[in-house]
Amino acid sequence: MSKKKLATVWLGGCSGCHMSLLDIDERILEVAQLADIVKCPIVDGKEFPEVDIALVEGAITSDEHLKEILHIRKQSKILISLGDCAIMTNVTGMRNYFNLKDVIETSYVGSVSNDDAGEVPNHWALLKLNDKVYPLQEIVEVDYFIPGCPPSADAIFYVLSELLNDRIPDLSEAKKMKHG
Amino acid sequence: MSMTKLTLQIDGRSIETESGRTILEVCKENDITILTMCHLKGITDVGACRLCLVEIEGVSKLMSACTTKVADKMIIRTSTEKIKRYQRITTELFAAERNHVCSVCIANGHCELQKLAYDVKMDHIRYPYLFPQCEVDTSHPLYVLDHNRCIVCTRCVRVCAEVEGAYNWDVMNRGTNVRIISDFNTPWGESITCSDCGKCVEACPTGALWPKAVVQGQLNKAPEFISDLIEKRKMKL
Ligand code: SF4
Ligand code: SF4
Ligand code: FES
Repeated sequence: MSKKKLATVWLGGCSGCHMSLLDIDERILEVAQLADIVKCPIVDGKEFPEVDIALVEGAITSDEHLKEILHIRKQSKILISLGDCAIMTNVTGMRNYFNLKDVIETSYVGSVSNDDAGEVPNHWALLKLNDKVYPLQEIVEVDYFIPGCPPSADAIFYVLSELLNDRIPDLSEAKKMKHG
Repeated sequence: MSMTKLTLQIDGRSIETESGRTILEVCKENDITILTMCHLKGITDVGACRLCLVEIEGVSKLMSACTTKVADKMIIRTSTEKIKRYQRITTELFAAERNHVCSVCIANGHCELQKLAYDVKMDHIRYPYLFPQCEVDTSHPLYVLDHNRCIVCTRCVRVCAEVEGAYNWDVMNRGTNVRIISDFNTPWGESITCSDCGKCVEACPTGALWPKAVVQGQLNKAPEFISDLIEKRKMKL
């Protein structure tokens, strides 16, 4: 059996899901036997390659995330939403209850932790926030979901090892489903 | 109340019971699991959440087990694919209609809505989230009402009226604008009817009502305490 290609990426998230992925500890060796990790946040630059499995952490919060997720979808045979932000926007989506302009002004201009009146950052290199934060499944088709903030290492390993062994994971059957 | 014996069939099992009981009561007595959310043993059932749906042969629509009485020779099914599909949709709509952020919720890990999500295997929500702007009423000295987490099961309303007799809570508006209100939609802390007893807080299945003395994820409610209380109050010493 030829090795599968695996990639992980984080969009609008806090990297906590990736920390949980690392928490699979020595089981990463089992993953590495069946798959090459061809792209992850600590692998340098280059475009998101064609892969068998993409694990996507985080919600779609900006123009850049939108571009990225559309590209990732094209490149991936199986796309997995990893964690509550990707699946339900979670904390990143708490700004959706308000108008974006008010959120920005509250965070930068009138923030209680400011000594003086602050400024809204405005640099060309910064990503442009969408009016609303979206969960992945509202933008692209998602094949599997691993909820949790973060999902447990056991849940992540379970889904990966099922897929890498050409089985279909079912978190609820495996009693590994968790929200929050 | 005079009771007549009757026989009915639930999920292929023949069961003997008496008239006057609900399908839910009979299922519980016979260890047949029915998902519920607005039901709380001891208080009036209102059929609000639509989770306890069952199929009854000869009846074209699904019926709520908590408000439908048993009848002789009824043939009932409790876990068909159709029922499961509806339960999953209902649960997803609860989650999409308000703002449920379990990771930062006071009820995380002790929430009936979360448990329901696992029961119906909800790994994601297929509907667009509404992300409504909801108020959090912190005016009461002891408790908080967070509309972000309310599923409008009205357990609080009924417990307050039927068990405590204070009639503090009510329901305002319809559809997605529906809100639980204290007195005539005034801050809870200014209520002239609330007795501060906290029964609504115990009865609430989610992180919508909680005591200020509790920190995130540490809330542990005991709605069965209300049911026990109702039983004890019936005892004449
Ligand atoms: S009320 Fe329950 S389902 Fe809603 S956010 Fe809190 S823990 Fe999650
Ligand atoms: S506050 Fe709690 S008990 Fe009251 S209607 Fe909302 S979810 Fe139900
Ligand atoms: S428990 Fe029967 S409708 Fe809610």
